[in-house]
Amino acid sequence: MMKQLLAATAITALLASTTAASAAQCTNDAWNKVMSRGKIVVGVKADYKPWGFRNESGELVGMEIDMAKDVAETMGVKLEMVPVQSSNRMQFLEQGKIDLMIATMSDRPDRRKIVGIIQPNYYTSGTNVMSPKAVGLKKWEDLRGKPVCGKQGAFYNKIVSERYGADIVAFTGNAEAKQALRDKKCIAWVYDDSSIMSDLSSGNWDAYEMPLNSEDDNPWGLAVPPAEKDCVFGQFMTGMSYNWLQSGRLIELEKKWGIQPTAFLANQKKRMKDWLDK
Amino acid sequence: MKHIPGVTSAPTTDLPVLLPLDRTRARPPEAMMVSRWLAGLPAWTPLPLLALMLLWPLTAEAAYTYGQAVDALWRWLPFLVKSGFLYNVVISFLAMAIGTAAGAALGLAQISQIAAIRRTAWFVTQLFRNSPWLVLLFIVMLALPFELVIGDTIISIPDWTKAVFGLSLPIMANISEIVRGAVQSVPSAQWEASEALAFNRRQILWMIILPQCIKRMIPPWMNWYAILTMATPLCSLLAVEEIVTLSRQAIEAEDNHPELLVPFYSFIMVIFFAYCYPIARLTVRLERKFAVKL
Repeated sequence: MMKQLLAATAITALLASTTAASAAQCTNDAWNKVMSRGKIVVGVKADYKPWGFRNESGELVGMEIDMAKDVAETMGVKLEMVPVQSSNRMQFLEQGKIDLMIATMSDRPDRRKIVGIIQPNYYTSGTNVMSPKAVGLKKWEDLRGKPVCGKQGAFYNKIVSERYGADIVAFTGNAEAKQALRDKKCIAWVYDDSSIMSDLSSGNWDAYEMPLNSEDDNPWGLAVPPAEKDCVFGQFMTGMSYNWLQSGRLIELEKKWGIQPTAFLANQKKRMKDWLDK
Repeated sequence: MKHIPGVTSAPTTDLPVLLPLDRTRARPPEAMMVSRWLAGLPAWTPLPLLALMLLWPLTAEAAYTYGQAVDALWRWLPFLVKSGFLYNVVISFLAMAIGTAAGAALGLAQISQIAAIRRTAWFVTQLFRNSPWLVLLFIVMLALPFELVIGDTIISIPDWTKAVFGLSLPIMANISEIVRGAVQSVPSAQWEASEALAFNRRQILWMIILPQCIKRMIPPWMNWYAILTMATPLCSLLAVEEIVTLSRQAIEAEDNHPELLVPFYSFIMVIFFAYCYPIARLTVRLERKFAVKL
């Protein structure tokens, strides 16, 4: 009798503790907040064409803005977009100022500790430099001890400076960084390879080249508040992400915004192909 | 009028003579420096700068022409003015209103008869007067919450309202000094005469001293407004959506051609000049009009 009672108490205690634990893990605060106020606040870029930028009437447009619209539509809530910068986007998410971040963020191990980065990743880009042909860069090591222009908040600034000993001069905007490159304040401008490619193909940078092999091909991740990653919101966004890749929606958007087609999206689509589809 | 050599005509001697008092130079200049400098510029000041801007692209090397850059500016102009510059004006108006109200109270506290109030007010004034504006902005931005939850209602506090508060702090401190200085500049005989007529301290302050102060406070007050307006682009460092932030985004949307930098930033300069210049001229005119007759 005594034993049974003890066992029963132990089981109840165990049950209580497990439910308490999972409840503590998943409060779903952000999800509930979004649902109760009927509005999702998404942090997007307003200075990263063509992923997130403004049109002349001031509206935010771009590939990631279309993704944010998909999310709001699926959840059946209104969409509010907050422009974020590379330097403040993670703080905004941590503080709860935004509920979701789709802001060209590279998925890095150190960032995973701060925000809830969602799998699967939705895009990828590598790091490269644009440099005057006259400089004749051959390899990354040529940057050692030389000034290299970049944009504040980009993770590869640190990598290029640590791995290759370049002196990074970081500007608030890319126009300023490119002007500095033109003024010969630095021997190269370090940025995403896809952006550099589109600049070079525009015909305005004929005296420049992208001489190096792209490095750190790095997937991009969208993010939810850290506490939500393994809860309703995180799981929902994983589903959104999967569907975007699987249905070819992202390839469609890539085409819509004139981004050079990447092998990454094509491969992901192939990988996630429905086995019943012919 | 009697003929006095050296005053009404050229001096007839090279021995030192006492020059007549030049009333425009007799006042301490530091409080009104910005307005006086700005008002001293001719109205066509931006024009040579714009002409310089036209010359500039001749040295540029790319296929993207200056004409295209100006065309881009023209297309973005309505948006930059309506959603950008208007915000700067709104921020400056509200910061000035809050700063003036708080500064007036703080200034009066600085002349309080209670030592504790007087010293505290002095300390607060000096603290905010002598701190860099950007540092105050950062502190306010990071210290204030982005939303308030009262019961079930969530009141969000947008960044620009925090910027208003942050900018109003240095304005408050400087207005406080203006109020203190103005009150103390009223000759002490006024206090003594009022006391002799059996007014109490509050009556003397509100009915006799302050009405005389208002006029002399208006020019420095407007001077600070011009300074504040020109300081509003500081908010762009905190990602508040004002004219500099939006210009950067516009440059990005136009593919970051470096040729865009000069037209866009020159436009910002011109619009600020167009706004602040009349204020400065008016300030200096009012100052002359209200100048204390010695």
